[in-house]
Amino acid sequence: MTELDRWRAEIERIDRALVALIRERVGAARRAASAKRAAGLPTLDPAQEAAVVRRAAALAREAGLEEEGVRDLFWQLIGLTRRAEQQPSAAAASER
Amino acid sequence: MVIVMATNATVAQVDGTREQLERLGLRTYLARDGFRAVIGCPGDVDAVTSKGVAALPGVEAILPWRAPYRLASRQLAPRGGRTVVRIGDGPDAGVGGPALVVIAGPCSVEAPDMLLETALAVGQAGAGALRGGAFKPRTSPYAFQGLGVEALRWLAEVRRQAGLPVVTEVLDPRHVDLVAEHADVLQVGARNMQNFPLLAEVGRVRRPVLLKRGLSATVTELLLAAEYVLARGNRDVILCERGIRTFEPATRNTLDVGAIPVLRRETHLPVIVDPSHAAGRAELVAPLAYAAVAAGADGLIVEVHPHPETARSDGEQSLSLPEFAALMRGVARFAWAAGRTLPGVQPRRQEVAA
Repeated sequence: MTELDRWRAEIERIDRALVALIRERVGAARRAASAKRAAGLPTLDPAQEAAVVRRAAALAREAGLEEEGVRDLFWQLIGLTRRAEQQPSAAAASER
Repeated sequence: MVIVMATNATVAQVDGTREQLERLGLRTYLARDGFRAVIGCPGDVDAVTSKGVAALPGVEAILPWRAPYRLASRQLAPRGGRTVVRIGDGPDAGVGGPALVVIAGPCSVEAPDMLLETALAVGQAGAGALRGGAFKPRTSPYAFQGLGVEALRWLAEVRRQAGLPVVTEVLDPRHVDLVAEHADVLQVGARNMQNFPLLAEVGRVRRPVLLKRGLSATVTELLLAAEYVLARGNRDVILCERGIRTFEPATRNTLDVGAIPVLRRETHLPVIVDPSHAAGRAELVAPLAYAAVAAGADGLIVEVHPHPETARSDGEQSLSLPEFAALMRGVARFAWAAGRTLPGVQPRRQEVAA
């Protein structure tokens, strides 16, 4: 195995972990949406989303990552979560 | 609106201002010039919100957008900053930087050997990227339509052999991922400039996009087409002036040289010129290329064919390999006069003095 192969394997391992984390995040957001519905609150919360992105930007800065790129990623992630929240059956199926 | 932050605004104040807008469901984009942050908010902001934002700590001024395009606007590039779109590995592979980037190759990919021969020759002559059509938008449904996926494979192979990044057109939104697998730059052709589903798709993938001006499109329409790509999160857009349709039949199209300085004033995006389609005839390509460089173009895209007389499309406007090498030596003189460089091409001293 060359050094390049080793780094590619490492990237694949990280990608697999990232997808697993995204799945976990979508599941947690779906449960938060259920909790909001039970409490009679609206599920969509733009203020909370903006706060999440702000937090991610601050963490990216601390980590020395390109902040705008991380913001973009989190807006994509929020879009993904929103769509999953709107399709509870599909999200539930993906959790099984 | 555009929010100009004070020079002494803290990072937390910039974050807070953006959050204030984003919690209303608006998106914000940040530009920095080393001295201050400028926040662009392309969505519609009501007067109450605008007043509230103006009162936030660290905010110096609120400006309205001057034009319908927003993310493409120079207002998001304080102090004359320009977007440099990297299309390859080399130090001079940034379109919009000090070096001119010349993209050259056949109108359509016809066979692997002619593609490799062209790539090696144009690379030797100083071209920074290879062009070649796999999917061809033709006015007539009976004209050669390109070799499709097979041509994409040849492009990818020649890319590896010649070490040149590849620019090729994507015609169909369903082909965007396929073309992005093989090419470094996705071209949206003049006829598709306002194909909004296609613009949205190329905005989704993170590949530089070469957006050609439509035959009858205004500069504002071109910039709004770019805005579709930018708004989807892809910031790497290269604009291309390729001639517009006028009453004049002596040239295939009329090269709108004036659009080059206008675009440079209006947008931070790089601007290149396609003299081949504007000219329609090989002998007009060089003077139009020189005019483009003199007017401030960041690069050129030129049709080159090893045997123009046998080309399956656009042979009459294609340069032969020696004609392309001569064009590059001429372009180097105009690059020098315009304060730009053309790496890999040395204009002869007497040519510079001429």
